[in-house]
Amino acid sequence: MTPRRLFALVCGLVGSVAALSAQSPNPAVSVDQARALFQNDVHQAAGLTCAACHDQTHGDQYAAPARASIPKLCGGCHSNAAYMKAFNPQLRVDQLARYLTSTHGKEINKGELRVAVCSDCHGAHGIYPVKDPRAPVYPTNVANTCAKCHADAARMTPFNKPSTPPADWAASVHARALLVRGDTSAPTCSTCHGSHGAAPPEIENVALVCAQCHVREAELFRKSPKKALFDTLSLPECVTCHSNHHIVEPQDSWLGFAGDVGCAKCHDESIGGADVIKSDRKSLDDLSAAIAAATDRLARAEQAGMIVDDGRAALREASDQRVLARVSMHAFALQPLADGAAKGLKAAQQAQAAADTALAEVQYRRKGLAVATIFIAGFLVTLGLKIRRLNRAD
Amino acid sequence: MASLRTWLAERAPVGEILDFLRHKHVPQHRYSLFYYAGGAALFFFLVQVVTGALLLMYYRPSAGEAYESVQFIMARVPFGWLVRSIHSWSANLMVGVVFVHLFSVLFLKAYRRPRELTWMSGMLLLGLVLAFGFTGYLLPWNQLAFFATRVGTEIPGSIPVIGQPIVHLLRGGPDVTGGTLTRFFGVHVAILPGIVTVLLAVHVLLVQRHGMSTPPSIEGEIRASGRPAKSLPFLPHYVLHDLFGWTLALALLAALSAFYPWELGTKADVFAPAPAGIRPEWYFLWMFQTLKLVPAKVLGLEGEFVAVVAFGLGGLAMFFLPLIDRDTRTSRRVVSWTAAALVLYMIAMTAMVLRGGGQ
Repeated sequence: MTPRRLFALVCGLVGSVAALSAQSPNPAVSVDQARALFQNDVHQAAGLTCAACHDQTHGDQYAAPARASIPKLCGGCHSNAAYMKAFNPQLRVDQLARYLTSTHGKEINKGELRVAVCSDCHGAHGIYPVKDPRAPVYPTNVANTCAKCHADAARMTPFNKPSTPPADWAASVHARALLVRGDTSAPTCSTCHGSHGAAPPEIENVALVCAQCHVREAELFRKSPKKALFDTLSLPECVTCHSNHHIVEPQDSWLGFAGDVGCAKCHDESIGGADVIKSDRKSLDDLSAAIAAATDRLARAEQAGMIVDDGRAALREASDQRVLARVSMHAFALQPLADGAAKGLKAAQQAQAAADTALAEVQYRRKGLAVATIFIAGFLVTLGLKIRRLNRAD
Repeated sequence: MASLRTWLAERAPVGEILDFLRHKHVPQHRYSLFYYAGGAALFFFLVQVVTGALLLMYYRPSAGEAYESVQFIMARVPFGWLVRSIHSWSANLMVGVVFVHLFSVLFLKAYRRPRELTWMSGMLLLGLVLAFGFTGYLLPWNQLAFFATRVGTEIPGSIPVIGQPIVHLLRGGPDVTGGTLTRFFGVHVAILPGIVTVLLAVHVLLVQRHGMSTPPSIEGEIRASGRPAKSLPFLPHYVLHDLFGWTLALALLAALSAFYPWELGTKADVFAPAPAGIRPEWYFLWMFQTLKLVPAKVLGLEGEFVAVVAFGLGGLAMFFLPLIDRDTRTSRRVVSWTAAALVLYMIAMTAMVLRGGGQ
């Protein structure tokens, strides 16, 4: 082993030990591994070298930067608008400022080295642009990146934090939309908590966070009588009924008094607004039954070879109205849910009527065929008799 | 009425034609039923002409409108569903009957002297019927037809040098697009009908000129028995039999269209991934499966190219069969066994795809 290789190994080991002692969630890498990873790094592509981040110690050997200095090291370039403009004029340059407002940033300023720094989430030597699906901060990878620390009970306990949110989110309707359906606009950890400025939303802010996507629900809730009541009781609005990380698909049955979900979490049938809940539930149940019936009859018509596009369009309208009616439930009143459900019911009935017309047409065609068959059979019999007579004559 | 007949007789050879038909006789024997296959094919062709002309009134041959126009025909035009379904069913039944006609002529050795040209014109008509099916399949512009056409038009591409120009010519570009649809439409409704009409006239005239062929085995039996050959007057006996068969075919078409209206499927999306289960019409399945089963390399050559060449040589051999077959006892036997093997092969390959073995 040459003295140069030995020095590189020592540097690598020192760097690894430093990383381990700071409890970085990422595994330590050797100098050679770091060099190999850097070949695909966005910084390498931009023309930067090791010296851009590492202090040169001896010849072409470099020391690992101190963990606490990493945010400011990265911010040295990434907070410099004039410098960053040369690489990407669209790139934001407030990452460091926002990081310092985050729980991570506040803790590291206090000297707590176990919290996340830039390289824990973005990587150190193989950094990809955020829009690259290989990046650990690409929407479909964010939850796994956060989970490296936040699902680790040993790491979370000293901070008095639960380690269940990543698993809860993974079982949520949001995770299904993002990971199964591939909808990258679906929320992951950073959507609600922020990325560089990551922090848990306060109770009074939860609804504002959810409202970023669920605009109509939030608007209806703010105007509803529940808003003042929740504020008085310091209830975290959306989270009260839907939970925070383990958000499942709401069911119409939540509008009721059975079990311990939806209204039944807090109410029984003796409350003043029980009639409203029952009425809303009946409207949605009637609409769902009509949609199911129309779906069934349209499928039968299609199986018989009929084209029922009008019916399908009406059925889509009914389904859309049901979505709106379900959203309208957040008004905690008879209206506008009843109106929406009535429109949906009308559309579902139109869909069913289209299916019935098509099925009647099938019967009409078969009757027509029967009549035509009688004529054809009569003609065939006549022909048969004529042929027989000719044969006899011969 | 008499004056009209006289007027017509002075201007057209109606009397001569009727006289010819009155004196014409069709052989009667145990294989006579196969004589009706040609007539049935003609009936289905006439149905295609009539229903195709009706569909032309509403069909629009562009990628943006083709699917919607067929949908309009099926859902809005009075009896449009019936016309379109009959057109589709009749096309398939015509291909089926044409194959029955081909193999019955082959097995009964009806291609022998002096009917060589009748056979050759028939072979050309078979090719044109298949071309009708191939071009017509794409016209509704649905997903399955789009991808099947993409696969089908790719096949000649395996031929060295001229393969890609042929693909380009078929598609009207490097890929199947709206331009291909317009091209197929033109071929389907103008070029093919024109050629088929001429060839069909030649084929039917030749059949009338030479009469129906009696199979060699029946000829031998007649010679051995010493009795005169049985026959049936063409007019009115044979014509009435034919009419009986055509009426049955019409009833079958009506029943199929009423109980199993031809599906339209979903509109073709040129950017969508190819759906599972792409396959051509049933009459191309045996070739489709052969191409799938042939090894990537055969004797150092591209397997697909070898298969395409084999199909071409097979087609040529069939076309020139009357000139190749020396009409001896042995050659007749070879032709019968080869034809039987071909039929079995086609059925087996088709069954393999239909049962999912070809997936």
